[in-house]
This record gives sequence, C-alpha cells and structure tokens, in this order.
Amino acid sequence: MTIKIKFLILAAAVVPFLSCNQSKPNPEIRLQPSVTKEGVNPYVAIDKSPMDMSYFPKDFPILRMNGAGETDLIARVIYSRPQRKGRSIFGNSEKNLVQYGKEWRMGANEATEIEFFKNVKISGHPLSKGRYILYCIPTEKSWTIVFNANLFTWGLHMDPQKDVLRVTEPVIEQLPPVEELTIFFEPSATGASLYIVWDTVKVKVPINF
Amino acid sequence: MKRLAILFLVMALSATSGFGQSKPPSIDKSPLDFSYFPENYPLLKTQDRISGPPIARVIYSRPEKNNRVIFGDLVNYGKVWRLGANENTEIEFFQNVKINNTKINKGRYSLFAIPEKEKWTIILNQVTDLWGAFRYDSTKDIIRVAVPVEKTESITEPLSIFFQKMDSGFGLIIMWDNIRVSLPISL
Repeated sequence: MTIKIKFLILAAAVVPFLSCNQSKPNPEIRLQPSVTKEGVNPYVAIDKSPMDMSYFPKDFPILRMNGAGETDLIARVIYSRPQRKGRSIFGNSEKNLVQYGKEWRMGANEATEIEFFKNVKISGHPLSKGRYILYCIPTEKSWTIVFNANLFTWGLHMDPQKDVLRVTEPVIEQLPPVEELTIFFEPSATGASLYIVWDTVKVKVPINF
Repeated sequence: MKRLAILFLVMALSATSGFGQSKPPSIDKSPLDFSYFPENYPLLKTQDRISGPPIARVIYSRPEKNNRVIFGDLVNYGKVWRLGANENTEIEFFQNVKINNTKINKGRYSLFAIPEKEKWTIILNQVTDLWGAFRYDSTKDIIRVAVPVEKTESITEPLSIFFQKMDSGFGLIIMWDNIRVSLPISL
C-alpha cells in the first residue's frame, strides 16, 4: 500500500517539470519495487484515504460479539474514504473533484467492493449473491449506481461488458455536509437501504431480500 | 478488558440509533487496509499486467505503535489476539493452498495469533465477520501453526500485514514494532 505514497512523491517530483505543459502527468501508476530481502522493514504506510467496511445487518461483527443471536449476514461493502478537505466535490466545473455525467469509482485506491451473501433485489431488480465492484455516474438530480463483475481492480478500469446491474436513484440533499465519503446500510421497512453520502449529497439505494 | 467491553457496548448501543438522529460513521482511528498476493494485484490487473484471479487477500485494521510497548504489554503474551483492530482480521484464499502441509480450501477465514516471546501461533478459524477476538471459538479452528519471531532493526509504526513471494509459494508477513513473523504458504 506504499504504492500511493510513492506515487504521490513521484507525482510531486514530476509535476513541476510539466507545469509549462498543458497535458496532465502520465496517469500510469508506478509499482513499488517488491520487497525481496528478508528482514527488510517495508514500512507500509497508512493510506491517505483509509479503507473501511460496512455491514448489513448494521454493525454485524459487534452484534455477533455481543451474542445477539444468529442473524444472517446479508451484505458487506469495503471502500476507501477520501475526505472533502475544503474542496467542492460534485459538479459540472473542472474544479469539481467528481464531474457530473462521468463514471466515478465511488471511493479511492482499490475499487469499492460490495458482497451480498444471499440473492437480493436492488431498486426492484434481482441481483445474485456474490461480489461486485461498485461505481456510479452522478448527475445533479440523480445517480446511476453500477454493479460490475471486474473484481480486484484499482480505481475504475472501465469494462462496461462486465456491468451486471445499473439502477438510478434520486439525489437527496445532505445537510450538514459530510467530510468523508461514507457508505453504509440502514434497515428499512422492506429490507435495507444502501446509503452513499458525501459533501451535500446523499443517495439511497433500496435493497430487498 | 472490562473497560474495552464497556466501550464496545456503548459503541454497539450508539450504533443502533437511526441515521436520522446520528451522524454517518466517521473514519476509524485504526484504518482498514487490503494486501493481496500476488503483491499489488489490483494495480497489476488494472494495468493488464496480470491475468487470472488473485491467490490471496488479507483485510485488516492498522493500529499504530504510538510510542507504546506493543508485545508483552498492549498485546499480551500467551493470549489470542485479533491481529488487528476493530473487526477481526480476515484472510481469503481464491484457490486451495497448503499451510504446514495441510490443505486449506479456498474461502474466507478469520486470522488470529497468540504471540509469545520466541514464537507466535497463527490461527485460521472458520468464523468470520467478528469484532475483535471476544467471541473467538477454538473449536472452529482450521489450523494452528507455530512460527518463530524475528526481531527487526527498525520499528514498524503501523501494524503491517502483507504477502511476499518465497521460493516455495509465498509468505504471510506480519510486522509491528520490532517484530516480524512469517507464515509460509504453498500452492
């Protein structure tokens, strides 16, 4: 995971040389050299956008720890959490971190991953149990959420042939704004909702099972 | 331990309140991380530099040393340790592997350790998605392997768990403070 740090250092070193050039730095991410020497401390740094996990039932591991009976695990999402840091996140302007109408990885670093431990319905559409990566296409009024089978990838390597399901849900205003990208589940009357919250935006995806 | 249990109880109670009343979950103090074998698999895959599925992945939370004495103090010798923070550490094999000449079926396992001064016992257990090691059930163990402890010259600040290629397969490497432990895994 030191890759990102190394890449940042690399990018920081390269960017000044490109400052008179309009093109962006080469997006290719350099790999860290493999750790081969025994005993070498690779000092794997903590990610800038740390990873997190959300479960449904909510806080499943804590419920299990507390011996709250044998409830079935329904879903788990694993994602990395970029922070707002004063930036304007969603919009049409180039200044926005996430552009309307463009695919967004909905996370950072490794692709955001969601796993269902039983067959479910997402916004009314069936989705087989299993693991998917999640990405979205945000617009001002609604987001298209995509479940895709191109697992274990970095960032968003577009492969629409592996799209399994696309659903569109309206944008809900989130106030006060939320600093960190936050993806989590809440119980609902008919099952659960997957919430994606960041900045002043909240999207709710209904899940039935 | 008692204090921890109370803390978790409070967390569990506060976590059950609805989204309407509570803020969305904030960033963990000990953030979660992935490690893959082959190393950097997602990057390699995304750059079309590797084909086929990954072999293994570990998911763990990363407490930091923060000037504390870790082994023998924060982490007790002779007791089962979650090998991380928050949710228990998880290891997944995407194909069957061998550990200590025992076949391990592909799948998701919880990973624990019993650290001692000279050796650690690494435990694969079949109950996943637990919090900590509070509900660890030794009757669900898949395998226990004793591995020697190596001392490192430099200090590893955050707990680091990753895979490394070895002559016969690969190793699960665990480093924290001045300790390094390696569990050999073969294909």
